[in-house]
Amino acid sequence: MNADLVQASNLWPFIAYIAAIMVVIAAMLVIPRFLARPSRGRATGEPFESGVVPVGDIHVRLTIRFYPVAIFFVIFDLEAVFILAWAVAFREAGWIGYIEMLVFIGILLAALVYLWRIGALDWRTERQKLQDARLQI
Amino acid sequence: MITTTDLLALLPLIVLSAVAVIVMLAIAVHRNHRLAFLLTVAGILISLITVPLVSDLVPRLITPLVLVDRYALVFTVMAYAAGLVAAVLCWEYFRVREGHQEEVYLLILTALLGAGVLAAAHHFASFFLGLEILSVSLFALIAYPLREIRALEAGIKYLVLSGVASAFLLFGMALVYAETGTMEFAVLGGRPGTFPSVIGTILILVAVGFKLSLVPFHLWTADVYQGAPAPITALLATVSKGSVFILLLRYGLESGVFRVPVVSVLLALIAVVSMLVGNFLALRQNNVKRILAYSSIGHMGYLLVAPVAANVVGGNLAAEALLVYLAAYFAMTLAAFGVVTVMSPADREAEELDDYTGLFWTRPWLATVFSVALLSLAGIPLTAGFIGKFYLFAAGSQGALWMLLGALIIGSGLGLYYYIRIVFQMAQAPAALQARPEARPVGAHLVLAILLLLIFGLGVYPAPFIDLLHPEINVPKQSAAQQ
Repeated sequence: MNADLVQASNLWPFIAYIAAIMVVIAAMLVIPRFLARPSRGRATGEPFESGVVPVGDIHVRLTIRFYPVAIFFVIFDLEAVFILAWAVAFREAGWIGYIEMLVFIGILLAALVYLWRIGALDWRTERQKLQDARLQI
Repeated sequence: MITTTDLLALLPLIVLSAVAVIVMLAIAVHRNHRLAFLLTVAGILISLITVPLVSDLVPRLITPLVLVDRYALVFTVMAYAAGLVAAVLCWEYFRVREGHQEEVYLLILTALLGAGVLAAAHHFASFFLGLEILSVSLFALIAYPLREIRALEAGIKYLVLSGVASAFLLFGMALVYAETGTMEFAVLGGRPGTFPSVIGTILILVAVGFKLSLVPFHLWTADVYQGAPAPITALLATVSKGSVFILLLRYGLESGVFRVPVVSVLLALIAVVSMLVGNFLALRQNNVKRILAYSSIGHMGYLLVAPVAANVVGGNLAAEALLVYLAAYFAMTLAAFGVVTVMSPADREAEELDDYTGLFWTRPWLATVFSVALLSLAGIPLTAGFIGKFYLFAAGSQGALWMLLGALIIGSGLGLYYYIRIVFQMAQAPAALQARPEARPVGAHLVLAILLLLIFGLGVYPAPFIDLLHPEINVPKQSAAQQ
């Protein structure tokens, strides 16, 4: 196929698309300046929560323990995806695929051992660990 | 299908991965700084030993992803050696600091693995995988001293920069793939680029620019260099930059990107701007790590002469110039950051210029190594930096890139000022000749001595080194014919 033909037919929708994006953004930025009336009510700066008055601070501090759990979930979940893809093509992949998957799962297991040993799977906080240690004494 | 020979050819990478897993398990079983360090050093040495065994089997294309050839192997040796130096420096640096230090070695190993994959990458998938293995290891390494606010800041900044670079890279790859229907570098070379694929190529080059901190994309480089622990900065400045350069040259040659006029003009412009801006910004700094950071931007600009010239002078000369300059740059940068590491007391880093006042009187050996490294960075004859610059000059003048060479001369002239400034600072008589408690980190001093020998060796008698470095990158025509 002629490359120039492809180029010419592809080019114009692309440029028109970009131009349309620019026009829409410009309109969204410019039009409110003319239409909006300045209003300085008591509740203007507050977030709109379906008419409910917001209560409390939104900056809730979650314990850091949640983040490792979330990350481990993502990591091991993603690796399950790889194993699933291999399972679908099990016969086509053959022995080499099998060995490769063994290596892969072996490395995963090693990582799990590492996480377990450094205490990353321990759900308790530092204070709770101290308390438990005292109880055992 | 993978054969035994293919696996043998991959041995340097496989051994390194195995060592990484072993070190991880060793940390899990028995957490000991010395054990982790020794295992890492032994592992890197074994991986280095496998390279000569492999060198008879190459060049070899293993799956469409990885091409192990002499060019890749030469760089792999350089990267592993740099990793070894960084590991020794880390041992001296983290030994006197608090906290769990064992994972540093694990992360250095994975970073080296990423660099090795990048050097052999022959496909967008391995390009991206190698880059991510390298960058993700580096995030953690840069932010390793968790209690230090500046290290954390540097880590976050590097994370953001790398994220932006990856986004550009993936979008560029997607555009190129959409146009050409292939992700293999060599196959790309056979297909002429039209409108979207040129845009995609430029996006990929933007990502490479972020990774190399070339000038329009250099914004946080100095902060990252300053915030990271000194041995990690050494690793970042050498292995990470070098592997991306190796990849850039291979990608550009095989896919014929350098032949596209827009791209080569853009690359030349970026090179000129990087040389000038990097060196100008270094002039006013008073922090040694920041000076080295800005000077590295300048050096990345110099190095870009090789890819730009590759179009005219051919892949072999360009690859040779690139590898020789990289070898010199590795030796002198590692030596400079090695001195910063050894100079740093346990509670902070010796990064201010004042820390180096009178070093020739108080610690003459360190001052000697540092001045040789700095003079080599400036490109003074009899040092490795001169041979590197000479090669770039040869490549540039054969390619008739007079604008680039002019910028190179101006940049080197500017560079001389701030390098010599540090040397003068060290030569000044110290205010009070206080006897410092001299620690004796034997390993670091040994490494510095070897680096010093390398700098002089490459500078005085470069012939044997250059024979070793001789790359034989495959030229695009040959690889296009294979398809």
